Amino acid sequence: MSNRDDRIRHDQARLARLGLSRRQFLGRSGALLGGLAVGPALLAACGGSSGTGSSSGSDKSVSISNWTSYITDQSKKDFTKDTGIKLTYTEDINDNEEYFAKIRPNLSRNQSIGRDGIVLTDWMANRMINQVKWVQPLDAAAFPNKANLRGPLKAPGFDPTRKYSAPWASGVTGIAYNIKTTGKEIRTVQDYLDAPGTKTALTEMRDTVGLFMRSMGIDTATPTYSKAQPAFDALQKAVSDGKIKGFNGNEYVSDLGAGNLSAAFAWSGDVAQITLDNPDVRFAVPESGGMLWSDNFMIPKTTDKANLASDWINFFYDPKNAAILTAGIKYISPVEGVDAELTKMGGKAAALVENPLVVPTDEFLATLAIFGPLDSAEEVKFDKRFSQILGSG
Amino acid sequence: MNERDEQGRKRARYSPWILLGPGMLFLFLFFFFPLYTLGRMSLSYRPSRFANPKFGWEWDNFSHAFSQYGSQFTRSFVYAALATLLALIIAYPLAYVIAFRGGRFRNILLGLVVVPFFTNFLIRTLAWKTILGDQGTVVGFLRDVGILGPTGTLLRTPLAVIGGLTYNFLPFMVLPIYVALEKIDPRLIDAARDLYSNTWRAFRKVIVPLSMPGVFAGSLLVFIPAAGDFVNAYYLGNAQTSMIGNVVQDQFLVQTNYPVAAALSFVFMAIVMVIVVIYAWILGTEDIA
Repeated sequence: MSNRDDRIRHDQARLARLGLSRRQFLGRSGALLGGLAVGPALLAACGGSSGTGSSSGSDKSVSISNWTSYITDQSKKDFTKDTGIKLTYTEDINDNEEYFAKIRPNLSRNQSIGRDGIVLTDWMANRMINQVKWVQPLDAAAFPNKANLRGPLKAPGFDPTRKYSAPWASGVTGIAYNIKTTGKEIRTVQDYLDAPGTKTALTEMRDTVGLFMRSMGIDTATPTYSKAQPAFDALQKAVSDGKIKGFNGNEYVSDLGAGNLSAAFAWSGDVAQITLDNPDVRFAVPESGGMLWSDNFMIPKTTDKANLASDWINFFYDPKNAAILTAGIKYISPVEGVDAELTKMGGKAAALVENPLVVPTDEFLATLAIFGPLDSAEEVKFDKRFSQILGSG
Repeated sequence: MNERDEQGRKRARYSPWILLGPGMLFLFLFFFFPLYTLGRMSLSYRPSRFANPKFGWEWDNFSHAFSQYGSQFTRSFVYAALATLLALIIAYPLAYVIAFRGGRFRNILLGLVVVPFFTNFLIRTLAWKTILGDQGTVVGFLRDVGILGPTGTLLRTPLAVIGGLTYNFLPFMVLPIYVALEKIDPRLIDAARDLYSNTWRAFRKVIVPLSMPGVFAGSLLVFIPAAGDFVNAYYLGNAQTSMIGNVVQDQFLVQTNYPVAAALSFVFMAIVMVIVVIYAWILGTEDIA
């Protein structure tokens, strides 16, 4: 045990305390297959059968969709105990685009998707709020704990007053590598490209292109295609030179551990799992900077339970409940005062306060950037070029 | 002519239609209707990016599908053809041994061909990722004996994709060939021998022609799904091995461009149809029926 503590204290291995990833790879691929097989039209036909668009007062129940491993059983129980609201919690979000494709047929026809709350990443939140407008405002009266929202997250470009969205958790995109295969530490995107062995990047466009943009000193806060073009060219060259062999979700998890991959663009939480068993696998935020993303809770426009859904998010903006959640999922909490509550919990939870990937320091946050919103025309250009580089566009 | 005959004749006239009914209904519901919807979608346009497509004779979708994705189409059919050929080379001897030399183990051997199918398709494909991985024994061995260079890899190469396709669709080749071989009357082979034919000649002149229906069916059962597959290229290939299935997946789930995805599916179907017709014409359809 003490032996392991030493290791954990050392260097990047503190990542070992991070938890499971929400982007579970089988779930993702399974959903992808399922999505293709069934097709959106059929989903539209059989989707909203568990309709929640009815009677909000009498039964007091709420239905939430979220990513995998993004909740603890304790939190679910506490919620129902505290609020008396029955909870239906579904972990059916594995990929932003795929989930969008799934809910699109219903929401575009103004039909219920059987959910009162969904959680999507910043850029998809932007699409939901500003482009397709399929979400409704959070109920301010039911969400007094909104005051606990951390300063830096209060006014994102896509929702300047956080009228429609509340962050659920945040994480970091950087480079994971197996030091046995690379032979040395990876500190920059160039190091990653030069490392021997097979390397992959992420299919999530903003993460992969974002890291390239930052490595070339291109600002990611207000991205345009013309500004990002050099980063795309560099990425394309890396692919055609065979330096980047493939793109994946989190299949890299097992491959990195086995040494089949030497390095990969990766999400902080995923790497934690591997590091726990295999200290050779490490996570680095490139010197040029990493990407910071948040997943945001929103309420679909087709539910009339906005108040109950707001009760749900309000519950998790209580620092005490937020601390229990953070101790379980080990992602960055958007709630002010979580560190103090974690310390109070003692033991392993208290130790998380020292981990910048769970409770980030200001210096650490300064090295991260958020990929800013793209307007629809720009997004089409980004997606198209990225698909071409992936070989499917 | 009595009344019962009259009734019987009437019944005879309608009974084919009644018997065809369920099948026709099935075809209509699950083939013609979806085909119609797909055709309509492929000629639709999008008023705005996330709006639902509207029908409007949008032939641009087809020219887009043809002009942009030529390399993926070519790759799909080349990979599928190679996988079909490989599957044939592996399956024919296998089916031959099971049919003629299987004896009492015949059913067990056939079962063994099918058993891998009990495992999920995705899991089987992902298993190949481990087998062909850089640290796997296969790559290690091939590097040691010098077939692969010291940094050579198997995973994320065209070879891995074609291998995956061959593996995943192999049983579809084995079973029809087995059925065709098993039906052959052994007395025909004896007759060939009596007429001074040696083993090889009997095989060439008797067994091969009689097994052609199986080869034909097996080839189609492998070629068509392999050409449309996207899982193998996605997990075992790289950015330069993507097939048309990957493009359709991307258009559907990432670009959410349903009309182009539908047009791509239509073009794919048309090409498959042409290939099948040519194939049937070369092999001679009278053997097939």
